[in-house]
Amino acid sequence: MNSMAGKRVIWLAVPALAFLAIFYAAPLFYLLARSFVGPSGFTFGLFSAFLADAYNWRVIGNTLRIAMLVTLVCLVVGYPVALALARARGFAQVILLTAIILPLSVGVVVKAFAWQIVLRRDGAIARLLVSTGIWDEPQRLLFTEPGLVIGAANVFLPFMILPIYSVVKLIDPRLWEAGATLGASPLYRFRKIILPLTMPGIISGMAFVFSMSVSMFVIPSLLMGDRFQTLATLTGRSFLLMRNEALGSATAVVLLVLAVSIVVGSTWLSRRIGRSA
Amino acid sequence: MPDSPFLDVRQATKSFGATRVLDGVDLAVKRGEFVSLLGPSGCGKTTLLRLIAGLASADSGNFELDGQEIARLPPHRRDVGVVFQSYALFPHLTVSENIAFGLKAKGAPPGEITATVRQFLGLVHMESMADRSVRALSGGQQQRVAVARALAVKPKLLLLDEPFSALDRKLRETMQIELRRLLRELAITAIFVTHDQDEALIMSDRIAVMNRGRIEQFATPEAIYARPATPFALEFVGLSTRIAGTVTTYDDAGFVTVETPQGPLRAKGRFAVGSPVLLGIRPECIRFGEGGGENRIAPVLTDIVFQGARVQAHFESQSDLPILIETSTGLPSELAAGMPVPLSFAVEDTLAYPAEVAR
Repeated sequence: MNSMAGKRVIWLAVPALAFLAIFYAAPLFYLLARSFVGPSGFTFGLFSAFLADAYNWRVIGNTLRIAMLVTLVCLVVGYPVALALARARGFAQVILLTAIILPLSVGVVVKAFAWQIVLRRDGAIARLLVSTGIWDEPQRLLFTEPGLVIGAANVFLPFMILPIYSVVKLIDPRLWEAGATLGASPLYRFRKIILPLTMPGIISGMAFVFSMSVSMFVIPSLLMGDRFQTLATLTGRSFLLMRNEALGSATAVVLLVLAVSIVVGSTWLSRRIGRSA
Repeated sequence: MPDSPFLDVRQATKSFGATRVLDGVDLAVKRGEFVSLLGPSGCGKTTLLRLIAGLASADSGNFELDGQEIARLPPHRRDVGVVFQSYALFPHLTVSENIAFGLKAKGAPPGEITATVRQFLGLVHMESMADRSVRALSGGQQQRVAVARALAVKPKLLLLDEPFSALDRKLRETMQIELRRLLRELAITAIFVTHDQDEALIMSDRIAVMNRGRIEQFATPEAIYARPATPFALEFVGLSTRIAGTVTTYDDAGFVTVETPQGPLRAKGRFAVGSPVLLGIRPECIRFGEGGGENRIAPVLTDIVFQGARVQAHFESQSDLPILIETSTGLPSELAAGMPVPLSFAVEDTLAYPAEVAR
């Protein structure tokens, strides 16, 4: 494609950009602007008040801690799946791909309610842990942080697996064999060949899962309840229950700053790795 | 034990599903030797290479390298280097880092790694490219890096899987000579897989001609060309005139007379009267006129193919077997397509094989 045609093709993005500008960016901007407007005009007062409250710092802490744990669980569970998926052939690959993609078609509310059942004191997980002797007696996982992390990791797992899978698929399997014939042990080959070559996939998978976990609303609402607040649930409460639009705007801005810095940071990181790789 | 083979493969067998890819292969390679596995695609040559490297496991068979049984060793403990057809260079590393990979994996001291990398960069003439990304290299340069990377860990045995197939012809010939010289300098024992007979003839100390999961002949290039052991070796290595016929007489001196569409021909061999045979004659053993020997034919000329230093003449034949002659001294001047041309060749240059019934 020559550069003239390349410039003209860019116009194809105009309808989508216009749609986003009118129905998404403008209301968002209005919302953000609200958080900087006080009784006497422009002010940071709302934020200094928000950040002065120790409770709000606990909310920020909750949000980041849960998002990091969910991302970590997804990475640890999803990475081997992505490798297996890339190496699987024929029927096995179809089954694996279906198992990963099909759950995306089930709404997150349905999944959260299903997890409520699984995480109960008489739920499947508790019974499994008792019957294997890990727990002495059944405990409730519902309304606990581990329960939330397990449930959220389940919902977001495909968004970790698929970006890693798409990168692993492109790795020539001969590289692994070449490493072996050079005398490198499987662990060394993993660390020096597979891990660096899959790093762009790991970064984008982590960025997906982290940004979704940081802003999730339905899952913590249903699996943790009101006693535990994250930035997203607090935003929702401010608008829906407390009718405090100023607080809601402030939490939304903090959340937005977190999410944007993650996306920008990870894009920068993966481009840097892509260049040096 | 200087006489025992350096690499000794006995009765190697491998099947993929119902397909038997290797059917009891024996291969004994001496220290320092350069051996080619030559055969058409699907003959099992690459599979044999992968079994030796440990990248696939044999269904049965013994694999001994330098007196050690290696069949159960994982590939990274075998000391067998491989140059892959696609080179398989690590795309995230530079030229130097690729060459250093095996040394680092083995935990060599940094000073030794630097010195060895520099040495092999020099041996393959890639000093100026040391810090380039391997993705920026041409095919020939990638091939050099792949060879240097495999040799830098000083393997006992180097395996090469059609390493020149991605290169254009000119470059391929240069690289063949370069690689041969390098391996000789370093006294490396090497096995080379190829389907290109010219490549095998140029480079090898010995050639193993493979067909349908078996080695049909394992001998020097000269011996394989002059005395192919099987009709397949005759057909696959070099050009040949081939004429099918039936044995009509057999004498005590070990000669047979064969009735063919071209007339009766004599050859050395022990066959029962009435058995079908295939006769093979190398094209340069056939002369125009009657001075070439006792066997005489007069086929109709169809084509003259000019090949620079040599000229080929092709003749009509009653079957799908070719009749051709090759000469570097020029053709008789009065030749024209469509006329019968008297040709002759010696009985001792006429090779006879039992004909396969399937033909």
